[in-house]
Amino acid sequence: MALMTLFVILIFSLGAGILMQCLPMRRQTKPPWSQRAPFLGGGTPDSHAWSRYHIRYYPMTLLLIAFEMEMMFMYPWAVVFVEKGMKAMMEMGMFLAILSVGIVYAWREGVFKWQ
Amino acid sequence: MFPVLGVQGDKALRHLTLSPDIELVDSPRHASVLLVAGEIPADRFEPLRRVHDQLPYPFTTLWFRCEPWPHLENVTRIDDLDVLPAALVTAYHELMEGRRESSPRILLDKPPNPWEGAGDFGQGGEGMMGGVPYGRPMAMNMEDDIRDGLTLDSLTFRLGPFFFAFPPGMAAEITLQGDLVQTWKTQRAPYPQSLDPVFFAARKRLVPIAALELARARHHLYRLFHALHLAGLESASLSALRLANNLSTTSTLDGLRRYLSRSGFFRLAAIKGGELGPEQARRIGGPAARAAGLDEDLRSDDAGYRRLGFSPVCQASGDTRARWRQVLAEIDQSLQLARQAERDDVSTSEVDRIETPRGPWLEKRPEDASALLDEILPGQEWGDALATIASLDVAAVAEAPLDTQTTGESPITELSDDEGGPA
Repeated sequence: MALMTLFVILIFSLGAGILMQCLPMRRQTKPPWSQRAPFLGGGTPDSHAWSRYHIRYYPMTLLLIAFEMEMMFMYPWAVVFVEKGMKAMMEMGMFLAILSVGIVYAWREGVFKWQ
Repeated sequence: MFPVLGVQGDKALRHLTLSPDIELVDSPRHASVLLVAGEIPADRFEPLRRVHDQLPYPFTTLWFRCEPWPHLENVTRIDDLDVLPAALVTAYHELMEGRRESSPRILLDKPPNPWEGAGDFGQGGEGMMGGVPYGRPMAMNMEDDIRDGLTLDSLTFRLGPFFFAFPPGMAAEITLQGDLVQTWKTQRAPYPQSLDPVFFAARKRLVPIAALELARARHHLYRLFHALHLAGLESASLSALRLANNLSTTSTLDGLRRYLSRSGFFRLAAIKGGELGPEQARRIGGPAARAAGLDEDLRSDDAGYRRLGFSPVCQASGDTRARWRQVLAEIDQSLQLARQAERDDVSTSEVDRIETPRGPWLEKRPEDASALLDEILPGQEWGDALATIASLDVAAVAEAPLDTQTTGESPITELSDDEGGPA
């Protein structure tokens, strides 16, 4: 019964939210075509502005993930390190060595230089 | 308020920038009032119509020292710069309180290409990328990349003549690939710029060097104001403008220079590019040439300047940063020369060869050099390209000096439908 009540409240609140969004928009007319073009200081575009675009910071984000994964695995590793001892140390060493290859490669490719 | 600058409209813009009641915006989308400042040449009417119709409803227009189009209703023309801010505020309040009707749209409300109903889903397209979905073709991979071989979709568009980051009146056809300028074709040269009347007087008779140098420093400070606004350093740009307006022989540049160093203006990545070769620098002349290491300044030939111990300051690298360092150095030098010249009462000794802030004026006034942008800008990132344009004074020098009039004969003229000049 409690679940049903919660469900009804959820439906009502969602419905009210959607109505609050949509009712004012129903009366709005679409902007004229002159306003749907990008502002170009009086100029005109040839095509839509939607295009494939190279995000120049993309390699840097990949590198961030490499460092982040390293840290993410080190936290649980620190917990089991005392129990497992040298075995855990070697495993982490191997993991870091593999990850370092990626970082060294990225370094060589000039990832740390901001484009 | 969004300003559309006509010939000599930049003076009104500078006046309004310092008016506390006026909020200037860089896009018509954010404006309620469109100000047409200065005479608009007939070949820029069509772009003006497009900008006019891009203001959101409701909006109104004011025309400053420009004849409004006769088919526009309830249009205010103003000729007096001093009453302009109050007239803009009044127009805004009347519009918001419903006492003034919104300006009518001029262009027909139709898409750039007919598209509705065409294609499998009525979206106007054909296949994946073909046709004109929603009125325009999709961006396509048209040209090879010139940076690193990663070919992306090219965007071709025409920008200006009312784009705030360009010199007033300039328009260009640009192809971008990502954020890189692939091609640049200057289609309309900027309006010729009007110099201070003292430079025109110096061509006719000997004039006090103090007046000439203060006018030169003011010209450079106005350019710096525009560049700092473009760089987003609003407070610094206002400082430059206030310094220019209150410039005297007792003024110093120290405060502004310190402000620029602390704000990181000279460390901006966007001002690293825009390097000019010696030949390109010579074609522009003036501070741009001296920033590229060319030791050319007609003031060196003037006996009056030699008496003051003048020698041109130069930079070496010729890039955007060097040009701004050069401009600051020249403002400093001009203020120093003005102080010395005022103390010793020194005048010029040449009338046929004067160095204007735009470049040397020998037989002819400095000419338009905007075509040079077609060579310099391809290969630059968009931000670097805009910073390069702001650092180059490419507009020609106008035949007539800057209009120093501040009070007009007829402050405000209400025009009805059947009055007014040609559209």
